[in-house]
Amino acid sequence: MKKMKSNRTSTIVLHNLLIAVLAIIWLIPIVWLLCTSFSSYSGMNTSTFFPKEWSITHYVKLFQPDSVAQFPQWFLNTFIIACFTCVISTMFVLMVAYATSVMRFPMRKPLMNMAVILNLFPGMLAMIAVYFTLKSFNLTNSYAGLIMVYSASSGLGYLIAKGFFDTVPRALCEAARIDGCSEARIFFQMVLPMSRPIVVYTVISSFLVPWMDFVYAKMILNAGISSKYTVAIGLFKMLDKSLINTYFTQFCAGGVLVSIPISALFVIMQKFYVEGITGGAVKG
Amino acid sequence: MANQSKDTAAAAVSGFFKAIGGFFSSFGTAAAKGDAFVKLSLLWWGAGYARRKQYVKAVIMTVLEVALILFTFGFAMDYVPKFGTLGTVKPEKVFNMQTMKNEWNDYDNSFQILLFSLFSFVVWFAAFVVWMKNVVNAYALQKKAEAGKHINTFKEDLHSLKEENFHITLLTLPVLGVVIFTLIPILLLILVAFTNYDQNHMPPTSLFSWVGINNFLSLFGGGGLTVSFGYSFVRVLGWTLVWAFFSTFTTYIGGILLSLLLNSKKTRLPKLWRTLFIVTIAVPQFVSLLLVRNFFSNGGIVNTICSNIGLTGFLRDAGLVSTSYIPFLSAPGWAHVMIILINIWIGVPYQMLISTGVLMNLPVDQLESARVDGATPFQIFRKITMPYLLFVTGPALVTDFVKNINNFNVIYLLTENVYTTTNQVMANSQAKEVDLLVTWLFRLTQDYYNYKMASVIGIVVFIICAIFTLVAFNRMIKGDKEGTYQ
Repeated sequence: MKKMKSNRTSTIVLHNLLIAVLAIIWLIPIVWLLCTSFSSYSGMNTSTFFPKEWSITHYVKLFQPDSVAQFPQWFLNTFIIACFTCVISTMFVLMVAYATSVMRFPMRKPLMNMAVILNLFPGMLAMIAVYFTLKSFNLTNSYAGLIMVYSASSGLGYLIAKGFFDTVPRALCEAARIDGCSEARIFFQMVLPMSRPIVVYTVISSFLVPWMDFVYAKMILNAGISSKYTVAIGLFKMLDKSLINTYFTQFCAGGVLVSIPISALFVIMQKFYVEGITGGAVKG
Repeated sequence: MANQSKDTAAAAVSGFFKAIGGFFSSFGTAAAKGDAFVKLSLLWWGAGYARRKQYVKAVIMTVLEVALILFTFGFAMDYVPKFGTLGTVKPEKVFNMQTMKNEWNDYDNSFQILLFSLFSFVVWFAAFVVWMKNVVNAYALQKKAEAGKHINTFKEDLHSLKEENFHITLLTLPVLGVVIFTLIPILLLILVAFTNYDQNHMPPTSLFSWVGINNFLSLFGGGGLTVSFGYSFVRVLGWTLVWAFFSTFTTYIGGILLSLLLNSKKTRLPKLWRTLFIVTIAVPQFVSLLLVRNFFSNGGIVNTICSNIGLTGFLRDAGLVSTSYIPFLSAPGWAHVMIILINIWIGVPYQMLISTGVLMNLPVDQLESARVDGATPFQIFRKITMPYLLFVTGPALVTDFVKNINNFNVIYLLTENVYTTTNQVMANSQAKEVDLLVTWLFRLTQDYYNYKMASVIGIVVFIICAIFTLVAFNRMIKGDKEGTYQ
């Protein structure tokens, strides 16, 4: 009996040790990012893992913009774009999800099928043409253009939210309808409050799009005006071959500063995401 | 996640055509059996409504009709007639006798002709649908009037947008957004694939024109001078498929294993560990990937460590490395393996998240009874957990594969400005060994303005994704399980 117990303790230790080793492997680059951002040397430190001298100069430098690095401005740009994108996309996604999930109308299936087909095209392909269209309306290198790019087609990503709405008991909606509740009220005052996890998930995930995106921003903001960049493009430009030796540590510092709020939001979002897919099934 | 893709693409296509067929037949009946006013509304859109005293609607339809006519003659007719040639007048400076100055002539812009013609086609198509729908509506009104039923006033119609027609209120804007920002651009790029729009034919300074399927021929290796495109295409396509396969399956299996590991009863502090793993994917990819690429760069920290512990020397003796550093991301072979490994780093926690969500729903009673019957943990995993996971996440596996075919970020951020190809044939067509079709497409448009080939590649990507999805979905799930949980 005793032997079995010690055996079990040792497997538990081994088990947790394995997880710890994996976690360390996964975190090495993140730790390196953090350490390097506190280095006093501005180029890339290639000889040792930890910096030789620690300092916060590069964080300070981030807030003293020069012609290349205008971090506060980039942060503000991205924030503004993210707010607009968040509002428009959330509306679009929830509207489409609700309409396709709860309501029944003749065009429902054909529309959903069109969405399946459109989703198979690489988004990049459409963006090349969108770029030209925006250019002919002088909307490239502007917030408005980028916001449209991020949010206009967001309705296509309705499936996760639809999956959640699908699990809202139909009987409740029926009861409300019999009581003379209008469809609009059912949506706003019944289904939306019941679907808090998926609403929060949609809000956060659409807010994160402009922060995480790289390629569309690079396409639309191509004039090379540093003050118009989003964080992603700005940080990418810092790593140009000619700049990397002066700006690498600033890149790390900027990366850390962006990652903190984004990671926090992401961790919250994933909780609601798991809740969104699991909570739904429990109700059914 | 399982809900995401339950619509089989085959059902999509057939359902789509059925709906179109039904629409045409109802239009036919309406036009044939309708009274004079229904027939008149073929010409004057408001006729049917005016007859049934829906005056506001009649006015709106008439205004729409007038707007369409104005659009057609004031705008579309400037472009559509030139659609066949995409313009013939090159920009030139001409001497203007009146102002005594050199001025630009009234030249054609091929791209604008293409774009605005397409736009006109879409508007006309929409108008055509409205026109048919309008006749059907007029006929329905006639039927109602004949049966002595109540006909809605305009106020009631508006109110219905909150009631039984609430879906119209909800869907109008999102659908419009998709049409303008996805559908029209895709159609436009499909058209561009049949033109010679590239660096030598850039509007407004020069014109481009239709070239039929020449671009497709040169991509598949038939085009004499541009034979390098055919070669690069095969190479890039090969790597794209290999990449999509390995990246999908490594992260899928890794994610399931990790989530089983973390959700095991033996794990202490599971929440803490899970958060640690999530942090790595919560950092925006442009930060983490750009960082990792410098981590593994030729003169980077990993190379320093490797040469300090003698690994570089060992590999050089073994003949795997010919340089003084390990070319993690700058030589074919090495770069391919590294990219897949780095993708595991970034993809496994994400998959872990999804599997965790699914595992929480695992049918507990089944697990319990298996345990009572004396099944070993491995047996339980193989016979219960795994089939359940596969059943729920199977469709997501297909979408993941398609997503990985189009996984731009990982490849671009890891290899752009780092990897230079030494293969002259590939360099001629602006491709690299580590390119996916989408990164190649992106470079062709952004750096080389080769829009015709980029469009062709885009279409090929679509066809690959479509075929794959069709086949996979038809095998994996049959029918629509939408109502299961309702």
